[in-house]
Amino acid sequence: MGVAFVAHCLLNQNSKVGDGAHCAGVYSPVIDVLREKGWRIEQMPCPELAFTGLNRFWAVKEQLDTVAYRRHCERLAEAVAGAIGARVKQGEDVVLVGVEGSPSMGVTITSSDPMRGGRPEWPEGTAEHVSGEGLFVEEIRKALARRGIGFPRVAGETHAIPGHDEAVQRAGLESALEG
Amino acid sequence: MKPDARSFRIALVADAYVNPPPDGLDAVAVAAETGWGVMQLPADDYPPEVAEPLLAEVAEQMEEFARHGYGFVLVGERAGLPEALAHVGVPLPDQISPRTSSQLADFLDGQPAPRAGWDTGQTAS
Repeated sequence: MGVAFVAHCLLNQNSKVGDGAHCAGVYSPVIDVLREKGWRIEQMPCPELAFTGLNRFWAVKEQLDTVAYRRHCERLAEAVAGAIGARVKQGEDVVLVGVEGSPSMGVTITSSDPMRGGRPEWPEGTAEHVSGEGLFVEEIRKALARRGIGFPRVAGETHAIPGHDEAVQRAGLESALEG
Repeated sequence: MKPDARSFRIALVADAYVNPPPDGLDAVAVAAETGWGVMQLPADDYPPEVAEPLLAEVAEQMEEFARHGYGFVLVGERAGLPEALAHVGVPLPDQISPRTSSQLADFLDGQPAPRAGWDTGQTAS
């Protein structure tokens, strides 16, 4: 007996990438065994949920392996390591229960495809374009506002927009540059 | 997004209900039976320097679920949770400190349907 640090989704399948949940909530095939064997359960955070959100795509390791995601995982890992350290200090036996095949939670098997990327397959006519700023631009706006700095003029490259017209794009850019 | 088996319902559960003492209430078992996911709160015996970062991560993940219209409740209590949720703009959900499995099951079954769902559209602003 001891303490099992388990992947978040083993207690909460709602955290899974879309089309990935195997059951409503608790993944009993693992949890039941831990219960039967008398192990204490401690749930780890889901790194993908907190970073790329509920509507994230299926991904392979190479797609997530960025400095930013590594830093995010490092922050979470520090929190988990603190908990594991506390249990070890108490003399507990500790195991880590991951998710094989996961780009984030695999313990002996992960997923990899160096060529995976680009536009996912979508049905024709998907209306994903709406008015508004992207998250980063919104954050830049807030950060500038906190410093009392006005938001600058903007222009956009429009290649991914239906009806893209290079001449219109150029005109928009020139307008922004000219103020 | 293709549908899957998720319930769109999550119970924030105090450690004492995830790792109950002998003859204590196993909220994980009740959640499994009633189709709720579990988000475990840090154990009460953790020192603040261990518990606080874990609570912060719970809160950040809860914010993601809440923003997408997932339903959630609180089972038990955890010092620091109200502040951690408030920090990410999420209110404390309905709470219960149940004494029996049936009391908890009734509470979970009696919750309103979440805004999120494969038939209602998963995303919410």
